[in-house]
Amino acid sequence: MNVLWSVLWKDLITEWRSRDRVVAMAVFALLVVFLYQLALPAPGAGAPDAVAPGLLWIAYAFAALLGLNRAFALELENDALAGLALAPVDRGWIFLGKALANTALLVPVQLVAGIVFAGARGLDLTGIAPSLFGVVVLGALGICSIGTLFGAVAVRTTYREVMLPLLLLPLLLPVLLGAVRATAGLFDDGEAPFSALQLLAVADAVYLILSFLVFEYVLDE
Amino acid sequence: MSAPAIEAEGLDKRFGPVTALRDLDLAVPSGSVLAVLGPNGAGKSTLLRLLAGLARPSRGRLRVGPESSGGDRRRARRHVGFLGHASLLYPDLTARENLLFGARLYGVRDRERVVADLLQQHGLGDLSERRAGTLSQGQARRLAIARSLVHDPPIVLLDEPFAGLDRAAAGRLAERLGGLKSDGRTTVLVTHDLARAAELADAALVLVAGHAVRRAEPAELASGALEGIYLSALAEAGAA
Repeated sequence: MNVLWSVLWKDLITEWRSRDRVVAMAVFALLVVFLYQLALPAPGAGAPDAVAPGLLWIAYAFAALLGLNRAFALELENDALAGLALAPVDRGWIFLGKALANTALLVPVQLVAGIVFAGARGLDLTGIAPSLFGVVVLGALGICSIGTLFGAVAVRTTYREVMLPLLLLPLLLPVLLGAVRATAGLFDDGEAPFSALQLLAVADAVYLILSFLVFEYVLDE
Repeated sequence: MSAPAIEAEGLDKRFGPVTALRDLDLAVPSGSVLAVLGPNGAGKSTLLRLLAGLARPSRGRLRVGPESSGGDRRRARRHVGFLGHASLLYPDLTARENLLFGARLYGVRDRERVVADLLQQHGLGDLSERRAGTLSQGQARRLAIARSLVHDPPIVLLDEPFAGLDRAAAGRLAERLGGLKSDGRTTVLVTHDLARAAELADAALVLVAGHAVRRAEPAELASGALEGIYLSALAEAGAA
């Protein structure tokens, strides 16, 4: 457990000092929201706001990919990844520390982009904000758990920037399906369907447990 | 006679179609210094990373640390301090934070005191709050060595520790490495610097294309014949 908190602390403090990941993710997510605003019909003009949750989560997923790629690229600098792999602990704790740090960095980006998106699309978030926050956190945890695992796999490949989305996007399907359905339910009638939350929670749990168990082998050269 | 600190038998390491190490046998007595020599691509760094537990052997048996570790790689990692080509440091953390982070990974007790002592011993006391990314190459190398010793490991694995250091810094580092030997630590030193190897090592192993082609025993090293041994080993292996 000590290792989990140490890795989480290290990732958050290095990000606080450099701010390269959060800024890149936030700028990217806001640019996507801006492009949506240009491409979609104005709200209320027969607007396809039924697709708003899907569009929002696509922006989140791509912003997360940027951050996840960078998360392990930083560990390659000075071969710091070897320093982590040398720790005489179950490497699953290192995975959890990094996954939680990635989640902690993604959630604020999601909140900012979500608020801007809602403002631009005329969506009223009052009343659903706490539930929406819960869905955002669950979705971010799912994306970052499997994303952290595949970030570690992709970082040693030649085309890591390409490999991560290719490996990760198909596996994000259950997380994105659950998150989109839950968000759509909240936008439509203020309640997230239980089946969507169940899918999201199960996907999170499966990805967290699986990644925890296989991370030991992922860090081997 | 006590068991060797490091023992390998029939060790192979393959990366896809490339065989980096072939049928290597090795025994490093506790408290001794082994220099691993060889041209680029000989498999020296691969050997060190196998010993550190960063990679798994493709074939063969490897034990690092006490027999009681029973081949448990996680427990074996506790006995090893490793310094590779790179420093393993985070440039955005201060010197002190880098060592504290390393100490936490190894579950070191009384971390603050251990880290303060290490910074002093390595002449970094005044630089403890400087970010690692702003240190000179020599300072960063000293910090990296301190990082590899933060959990007081009985076995130290060093890959080209003198690379990029000026003469004075290399001299200070050699003194420090001599200190590791007097502390009773077992050291494996990968280097291209034959003079330093002869100065520090008790025995040497020459690798060529993944094969151990020559071993130099303590008596041969003491007679100052290392350079001749190395060049003749390369010539015999057709790598000169």
